Amino acid sequence: MGSLFRSEEMQLCQLLLQTEATYACVSELGELGLVQFKDLNSSVNAFQRKFVNEVRRCEEMERKLRYIEKEILKEGLRIYDVTDNPKAPAPKEMNDLELEFEKMDSELRQVNTNNEALKQNYLELTELKEVLGGAQSYFAMYGNNIQHLVEEETSHEEAIIGMKSQQGNLGYYVGTLLREKVPVFERVLRFVTHGTVFVHVEEISRTFQDPITGDEMHKCMFVVFFQGEQLRNKVKKVNEGLRGTIYPVPDTPAERNEMLVGVSTRLDDLENVLAQSNDHRLRVLGNAQKEMRAWTIKVEKIKAIYHTMNMFKVHQSSLIAECWFPVKALDDIRRALTVGEKQSGSSIPSVIQRMDTHEAPPTYYSCNKFVKGFQNIVDSYGVATYGEVNPAPYTIITFPFLFAVMFGDAGHGLIMFLFGLYLCVKEKELAAKKINNEIFTTFFGGRYIILLMGLFSIYTGMIYNDVFSKSLNIFGTEWDLTGITIPELEAKEDIELHPTMTHRNKTAYFFGVDPIWQSATNKIQFMNSLKMKMAIILGVSQMLFGICLSVFNHLHFRHYFDILVEFVPELLFLGCLFGYLVALVFYKWLMFDAESCAPALLIHYINMFMFKYVGKPQPTKTDPHPCDPQYVFYSGQQTIQTLLFMLAILCVPVLLLGKPIYVVLKKRMSSRRQFAHLSHPTDPLLSNEVGPANGFNKKGLKEGLESQVNPAYQHDEADAGIGNGNRVDPPSTVMSLNSDEETEDDMAKHGASEAQSHGGGHDDLDTGEMFIHQAIHTIEFCLGCISHTASYLRLWALSLAHAQLSEVLWSMVLRLGLTMGGRYVGGPITFVIFFVWANLTVGILLLMEGLSAFLHTLRLHWVEFQSKFYKGEGYHFQPFSFDYIHEMQTLEEAT
Amino acid sequence: MMPEISFNIDHGYLEGLLRGFKSGILKQADYLNLIQCETLDDLKLHLQSTDYGNFLANEPSPLTVSVIDDKLREKLVIEVEHMRNHALEPLSTFLDYIKYSYMIDNVILLITGTLHGRPIHELLPKCHPLGTFDQLAAINLANTSIMLYNAVLVDTPLAPYIKDCISAEDLDEMNVEIIRNTLYKSYLEDFYNFCKKQGGATADVMCEALAFDADRRAFIITINSFGTELSKEDRMKLYPRCGNLYPTGLKMLGECDDYDQVKAVADYYPQYKELFENSGSNPGDKTLEDKFFEHEVKLMKKAFMQQFQFGVFYAYIRLKEQENRNILWIGECVAQRHRAKIDSYIPIF
Repeated sequence: MGSLFRSEEMQLCQLLLQTEATYACVSELGELGLVQFKDLNSSVNAFQRKFVNEVRRCEEMERKLRYIEKEILKEGLRIYDVTDNPKAPAPKEMNDLELEFEKMDSELRQVNTNNEALKQNYLELTELKEVLGGAQSYFAMYGNNIQHLVEEETSHEEAIIGMKSQQGNLGYYVGTLLREKVPVFERVLRFVTHGTVFVHVEEISRTFQDPITGDEMHKCMFVVFFQGEQLRNKVKKVNEGLRGTIYPVPDTPAERNEMLVGVSTRLDDLENVLAQSNDHRLRVLGNAQKEMRAWTIKVEKIKAIYHTMNMFKVHQSSLIAECWFPVKALDDIRRALTVGEKQSGSSIPSVIQRMDTHEAPPTYYSCNKFVKGFQNIVDSYGVATYGEVNPAPYTIITFPFLFAVMFGDAGHGLIMFLFGLYLCVKEKELAAKKINNEIFTTFFGGRYIILLMGLFSIYTGMIYNDVFSKSLNIFGTEWDLTGITIPELEAKEDIELHPTMTHRNKTAYFFGVDPIWQSATNKIQFMNSLKMKMAIILGVSQMLFGICLSVFNHLHFRHYFDILVEFVPELLFLGCLFGYLVALVFYKWLMFDAESCAPALLIHYINMFMFKYVGKPQPTKTDPHPCDPQYVFYSGQQTIQTLLFMLAILCVPVLLLGKPIYVVLKKRMSSRRQFAHLSHPTDPLLSNEVGPANGFNKKGLKEGLESQVNPAYQHDEADAGIGNGNRVDPPSTVMSLNSDEETEDDMAKHGASEAQSHGGGHDDLDTGEMFIHQAIHTIEFCLGCISHTASYLRLWALSLAHAQLSEVLWSMVLRLGLTMGGRYVGGPITFVIFFVWANLTVGILLLMEGLSAFLHTLRLHWVEFQSKFYKGEGYHFQPFSFDYIHEMQTLEEAT
Repeated sequence: MMPEISFNIDHGYLEGLLRGFKSGILKQADYLNLIQCETLDDLKLHLQSTDYGNFLANEPSPLTVSVIDDKLREKLVIEVEHMRNHALEPLSTFLDYIKYSYMIDNVILLITGTLHGRPIHELLPKCHPLGTFDQLAAINLANTSIMLYNAVLVDTPLAPYIKDCISAEDLDEMNVEIIRNTLYKSYLEDFYNFCKKQGGATADVMCEALAFDADRRAFIITINSFGTELSKEDRMKLYPRCGNLYPTGLKMLGECDDYDQVKAVADYYPQYKELFENSGSNPGDKTLEDKFFEHEVKLMKKAFMQQFQFGVFYAYIRLKEQENRNILWIGECVAQRHRAKIDSYIPIF
């Protein structure tokens, strides 16, 4: 069977790895990405595990890398992607890496501290320069003599109390302050000094750089005049509290100028030094930049390996791991292990040892990118129970098809197809861009679905003959319009064309719907009849198909009897009731034309349940062909319909009671047989004919068959999960790398005896519960058949809605534009209106209608189709793989 | 109109968010894991698997308790600030009220610091970020309570609270304590009235919580005042008058001279009687403080039982504070290798 039909065959194995080889082996397995390890230490705290120190060292390295990365990104440098895939370094190299990071980290930190100090210095000097300049102009405005200034100030600004009397010892402070702190500064000064100081604040136009964070800062320069020592202290304290800086500014303009010159030269020097130190920093970062990505991948890999190794159990000089993997990957795994051993130079080979367990294996399909999208649709309902039939392969066709039935418009389909095609063709480029937009990733992930949906929509659109709500006249019409002239058409509102007279081809149109229906007033009635019947046909066929798929489940799980008590009655029930309806539809299509007396199927179908039949009367003279849609329309109709109905009814008790009764009987039988069986615990025939997959067959267990079909043997490691304390001698069950039939045989023998001993645990199965369960299933199925068939009518409803909506859009928007404005204005109007129409078409018809059709299709698959055979109670196979590391763009994402 | 109907329009988002935060509070199982830690790095490793996530990931080893403290506080502050920024009236005022208590703490911290001659720029980073305000910077000017009022508090929300204790006396340790308690008293009473005004479930939950807080302060002030020069009249003035003890209990407390008398007062109130009875200073006994904390946790957990009310916000911050205390306690015990009392944390859930 193809790998998509059901899950890959999975196998639980125990890996015995030599301690020194474990790291390399796990690393190789991680590159392979086909092994899922079980956590054998789930009861142990994270910090009490064996390799917690290594994990911690990795975290420390991560931290340093994050710091370096942050610095690189801060400089606006890019982190280059690596093309090759650096392998996880050997544990020995971890020390080198650590040393390297340590060196890099400390170097960078040192450079940064130096830089910060320099920048701080630079900041102070630039501030001083600004302050000096500001003070110079401020004082120049009010005179260079401070004492003189005071007099001006007192008359100029709000009078300072008592100033005039003690002009002698007036002091001032000049400094800078962050702009946002100025209001507080002024307010606090006013409260503290009761308004006895004069504050002048001026904004400095240039911005400064914060030496530590690199952010821009806006600063203000302030000049505070005060009197007396006490006030000086207060001003100083307030300034201190608000982190302002006071600069010494000399009293006379000459001194100030001198200072300004001095500051300028020092600034120039400092700028040089800063530039050099910046160069150095860039060099350091540049070195790191090249290696960054490779480092990140290496560290992440080491961390992942140790995380995995923390899940292993220690056993003497080796580590024991339990893992699931697909059976067909066994050779790859062996190869990976051998490579790992060779790398680590370990002499003792690792051992893979098969284990049988009652735990359900994970479900795994090896999908390609095309199938992936469809598999995701199925998985989001529920991951298939291991071994169950996977609906995904059928979904590939049915999903786009049912979608297209609802979305049937060739024009819209074409746009959707082109969009899907674009995504698929540009696939690699788009994927490389790693766009994180959620909406985009959704569309991108479903690109193949969109492509197929578009393609199928074109097909159904051609069948409905709908292109942007218009029809294409490709094959001409089959209606005879020869007798009708144009004046006649213009004169009359409508002309009735009778099919018996004017329809040329009396069987069927060549392809799709005759375009003449586009202009018919009864177009909707005609299309409704067509689409409604089609919906029923499609629905019933899909459900029947679903029921047929359940056979494969019964066969696979060896519930042979279920075919008789479940599949057959289900098939009969649906087939007799709704399959018959479908047959009637075809019968009516094929056997009746405009001349004959067509039956009303709906009435007939209802009458079938009410056993009401209206016989055809003998033709009379007044009415040679008596016609009523209620008349019986084929001979033996009553017999056949009654028979079908009875058959369907009879299926219900079989469905209801068949399985539980069978199980109860079976259980009684087997308990009687068990005693006899015990005396021959190793029956080679029986244990050899069973494959390992049957060990997981719970149903088989329930039915007391486990003594035959479950050659389950358990190793002591697996005990906890199963709750069975039986131990098996390890040496006898070891299957070494070069396993041969002997050991397998041995194992099977063990299995047989083993299974005996724990068969008792499942013996007292709750029969009542099973009856109830089956009753629920029966009711669900029978009612479901009716409601699900009705549910498929959404195919018709949505396609009707879509057609109507696009017709409204055409006639209310575009046609309005086309008829407006006459000869000269019409062009521009149409130009504008077209955009409105095109946008509405894309927005409403493609996106909204598309989404709604998508959702309805999803529902039809999940509920109506899958409920017939799909349980979806499994869980995903999540192999240990390094792939996610390559997806990761920055270390920040890892945290 | 019933306020419950329209509650979610304004505050639904924040309540939902908060209840999400609440489910991140460490459980008993987490504590059991934490106390098994050998080093602070183990502690970090375990906290990584909880709601704290990678909050310590960028800290170099070896860790210290103070780093953990900073980070814990930072996390809480970010959450509270986020909620405050998204809050609408009256929730925003309610959250502001919660912040006032941190402001009071900061003012007192700075005054005590400056009294001991520590420079202001060293003290400012120690303030709780939830209670910082610009004027705090000028606190080193305050050497009397008048100055404190004028320079620092006059245009802050705390201004009305300090009215009762303005004096020209120089600040000393005693004064500072009195100021702290007066501020707290006025604050609690104000907050109590505000919550009462809100009515509904908010009033139910918050009044109970604040009443307990008030009573606890009254008990603790009384017990701490023994052997100090605080007169009984002054002490009486410090009791917040919004608790269950008011008025009779407070009056009796005001007369107390020793611990046994306090205990006798508590006997009249069944909820406090229990706390006093089960506490003691013997080894193995829980201290009264811990008993109070335990009772507080119980009350706060109860607050989550009701919906459409602000009490959950208060309760969450309180519980988170308790959790931080717990983690720090365990952290200290681990760091000092003093494991004997490691399990005297107060489990929350």
